[in-house]
Amino acid sequence: MAKVPRNFRLLEELEKGEKGIGDGSCSYGLEDSDDIMMSNWNGTIIGPGHTVHENRIYSLKITCGDRYPDAAPKVQFLSRVNLPFVSPDDGTVKPTLLPVLATWSSRSSLETVLVEIRKEMASPSNRKLPQPPEGSMF
Amino acid sequence: MSLPKASLQRPRIIKETERLVADPAPGITAAPHDDNLRYFDVTIQGPDGSPFQQGIFKLELFLPEEYPMAPPKVRFLTKIYHPNIDKLGRICLDILKDKWSPALQIRTVLLSVQALLSAPNPDDPLAPDVARHYKENEKDAQRVSREWTQQYAS
Repeated sequence: MAKVPRNFRLLEELEKGEKGIGDGSCSYGLEDSDDIMMSNWNGTIIGPGHTVHENRIYSLKITCGDRYPDAAPKVQFLSRVNLPFVSPDDGTVKPTLLPVLATWSSRSSLETVLVEIRKEMASPSNRKLPQPPEGSMF
Repeated sequence: MSLPKASLQRPRIIKETERLVADPAPGITAAPHDDNLRYFDVTIQGPDGSPFQQGIFKLELFLPEEYPMAPPKVRFLTKIYHPNIDKLGRICLDILKDKWSPALQIRTVLLSVQALLSAPNPDDPLAPDVARHYKENEKDAQRVSREWTQQYAS
């Protein structure tokens, strides 16, 4: 099986993201459109319905290092949020506490990270957690 | 008895690689990564008489699983001011898309990319602002291409 190098893998993900993924509840793109190494990404999650997150828009920063996709990306919330796997100090997603990062596989992607975080927001233990004021940032 | 597909494809990639190294095309180098024989570091020298003259441009090339039924993927790593190459180094070239044929090779692809530097095509742009500049004031656009070549490709 041909191993797709980091940069061509990220180009594929970029093109997929530009077309729009799923139902639009998660999206991502390059932070800087001429970042030739494609390291810094913005992600957006629309809070899942019937939870405390409903109608909220969460911004995240995702960083893909040199070893991506063999190594997981770093993920950080820019919007304030109260979730057990997010540091209350600076919004960093703790990789050991989020299964998609803890058991990272190179088949996972920026899309799966955002989709999995959104699923966690809607889980029975997280859906009713008290949240900081809407729109506040770290 | 039929051979597995991979064992038929591998010799083609190895043959192409050997020839690229032993008998390189003028102004072009291509060397595979030690840990991924489908992934190449490429350099292309800007053609004489073009605004990219004397520039050495770095590119990367990847042969996908489907190669040679699917085209190689190629991208500039050096910044370049050209109407058919975007900010991320992606290239608008027909043989890399719908005009690909398995009869083409890595060598022909890289020669075509080199030829594209001599013949920018602002009517089929990938970088709309650069294409507009080339259409409205070709001399001034070429000046910027030369400046970028000096700044980023030397």
